[in-house]
Amino acid sequence: MIVLACYSNKGGVGKTAASVNLAYALSLAGFRTLLCDLDPQGASSFYFRVKPSKKLTEARFFRDVAKFTAAIRGSDFDNLDILPANMSFRDFDVFLSQMKNSRSRLKRSLKAVKNDYDAILLDCPPNISMLSENVFQTADGILVPVIPTTLSQRSFEQLYSFFKSRNLPVKKLHGFFSMVQSIKNLHGETIAEMRERYGRSLLKSQIPFASDIERMGVHRAPVIHTVPNSPASAAYLNLCEEVMSRITTV
Amino acid sequence: MTKVNIQTFYLSDPTNCDFSATCFGKLKMIVLQEYQRTSNFTVLDTFTQDLRRSGQLLFQTLDELQLLSAGGQILSQPTTGGQQFVDQIASGPVKDSLSGISSLRRLLPVGSGTLQEKVLALMDEELKTHARAHLLLLEPKQGNAAGIVVTKGLRGYGKSLKLLRKVILECGGAEVDSPKLYPHLFPEYRKYTTKPQVGIGYGEPAFASATKIISNFLSVARANEKGILADHDTEFLHDYRVALRKVRSVLSLFKGVYDQEQTLDLKNRFSVQMAATGRLRDLDVYLLDKQKFYGLLPQNLSPGLDAMFGQFAAEREAALESLTKKLRSKAYRKEMKALEQIFAIPKSLAPGAKANLGAHDFAMELIWKRYNKVRKTADRIGAHTPDEDVHELRIMCKKLRYLMEFFAPVFPKQDFKAAVEPLKDLQDNLGKFNDYSVQQENLNAFLTSLRARRETETLHIAQSVGALIAVLYTSQKEERRKVTQKLQGFNSMRTKETFRCLFYYRNHKK
Repeated sequence: MIVLACYSNKGGVGKTAASVNLAYALSLAGFRTLLCDLDPQGASSFYFRVKPSKKLTEARFFRDVAKFTAAIRGSDFDNLDILPANMSFRDFDVFLSQMKNSRSRLKRSLKAVKNDYDAILLDCPPNISMLSENVFQTADGILVPVIPTTLSQRSFEQLYSFFKSRNLPVKKLHGFFSMVQSIKNLHGETIAEMRERYGRSLLKSQIPFASDIERMGVHRAPVIHTVPNSPASAAYLNLCEEVMSRITTV
Repeated sequence: MTKVNIQTFYLSDPTNCDFSATCFGKLKMIVLQEYQRTSNFTVLDTFTQDLRRSGQLLFQTLDELQLLSAGGQILSQPTTGGQQFVDQIASGPVKDSLSGISSLRRLLPVGSGTLQEKVLALMDEELKTHARAHLLLLEPKQGNAAGIVVTKGLRGYGKSLKLLRKVILECGGAEVDSPKLYPHLFPEYRKYTTKPQVGIGYGEPAFASATKIISNFLSVARANEKGILADHDTEFLHDYRVALRKVRSVLSLFKGVYDQEQTLDLKNRFSVQMAATGRLRDLDVYLLDKQKFYGLLPQNLSPGLDAMFGQFAAEREAALESLTKKLRSKAYRKEMKALEQIFAIPKSLAPGAKANLGAHDFAMELIWKRYNKVRKTADRIGAHTPDEDVHELRIMCKKLRYLMEFFAPVFPKQDFKAAVEPLKDLQDNLGKFNDYSVQQENLNAFLTSLRARRETETLHIAQSVGALIAVLYTSQKEERRKVTQKLQGFNSMRTKETFRCLFYYRNHKK
């Protein structure tokens, strides 16, 4: 079982759109996939029309295997299940800080479903917290969407430094440019500069800024499903392929 | 991802299949896909009803093969049609599920009609699917319509799935049972088996038992006549011959049940019918083994085999024509009808001395005697015993097996199985030994009678047949070597004890 996380400490960079489409792309490729919505806003659950789980509180998430597995919902698509979020997830940090082995609790929870899935994708909330540290420890690969702008670049730098300072393996980090607008000079310059600096930590695939992606909120389905022939769909499919070939060859 | 929760229902009254107006509480049934066109379907099965017996329903539409599997799943794969045997179906999920169906049997139409298809989803107010239903509405041309609903759950929505299934049951749905679908869809459909279970009572008179067995196998033989005439596949003739052979076996093995003179007359009459089928069956066996023969020889000998099989195919055509002519003749039909009537109205049969013996006692006497004969011959056979004795043993084993199978219903199932297994094992080996031997004999005869058009062709055939005989000889030797080993199982104390317990005739005890 492979665990991937879509993570950025900056909000609004396209994490959820990437999580939703990557999870769908994995399911299309035949991987039995679980998308875990860890963000209390529950956006990826919303995209799949799955209602928030009432019973899966933060305590049960980490302590009650039966409740954890019972909260999983089948999506409308083959090979793809969703673990929906709810507002109690906002207290994950407080809860985790009170637990023993607080950095490996997520890994333990996911063990409960390791035989059910080939791939688990974690859609993470935008912060660096105890939950994030759990994600860093659990995931085989951390996908970091980066808008080619100064602030987003800064967030990636912060994350990279955090990994170095905590002796976490930076090879787990797979940044990719998101919401790219090729007509903007700043985007082009930032991409070139970052590629030179971070080399293999950045994936080749880029996600364009596209209204089809914005409209996912209206259609409430992955863009690969609603507009399969769009450039955005092709970009997510490429991203999925590149990530999987990197992770599986490691 | 947990195992997909699939359950299939069938509704004998398909007017209840429209769930769009049905109340599902807060949920709604939405039609996701409705196939506008109504397509024609034809249900296919082998003559021996292998699909029905394996709990499957196979049907063909214009461009698809669909299968209602034994597990209640609907599988489909595209087809351009024209497949007549399972191995001619292209790779796909339907073909995979048919792996247990014999490729020797042609897929024949059971019945046809029109098909409508819908995919429904049970959704909440956010339009999230909770459960799905795949609906098939089959309307046969002559028969009763039926709705098949395949329900499928999504993880985490167990309650909704339960509700959907409850509603289907309330609408008159029942869990699908494919074998029962056949007579519902096609009321004229009749069950058929080559091995009819002839119910024999423990104390039933031997005369009545024998008559019942013969009558049943005679029906099997007659049921295969149409298939032989249409030349659907080779197994019609094979089953016809096996059934008649069983009839003859009852006549010759059930000694004293019928009047001796009448028995002899009946045996001759059945032998006449059998004799006309021998050559065609031999040729069928050769042609079925064609690929195996090619595999036995190096490629440079293939031209000889091509010519040989060309001759066999031509000869088969002639043999089939001659048999067809016979089966269509008035004389044949009259004779078969007369034979059927003899066993349908037992009054026309003269009873023998043992006619009134109870089936169980009669079976014990016959089987125990026959078993001892086999055992004596088997005891004699070693590594250097002449082949003729091995052939004799094969024939004796066959007779013993027939006897045991005829009377199987009057013995305890488990003990009976324990007695049959070592015999079966020995027979497999003896059967192969005999096949190799007969094939060599026939190929030698073929060489002698060779009438090829050109000299080079004769030379090619002779080379290939010569090589084939050599290979078959080696295989026969190999089987012969195994005979001694297989006999150990049959001659074991355990088998002897099993036979003794089951069949030791009380007169012998005295």
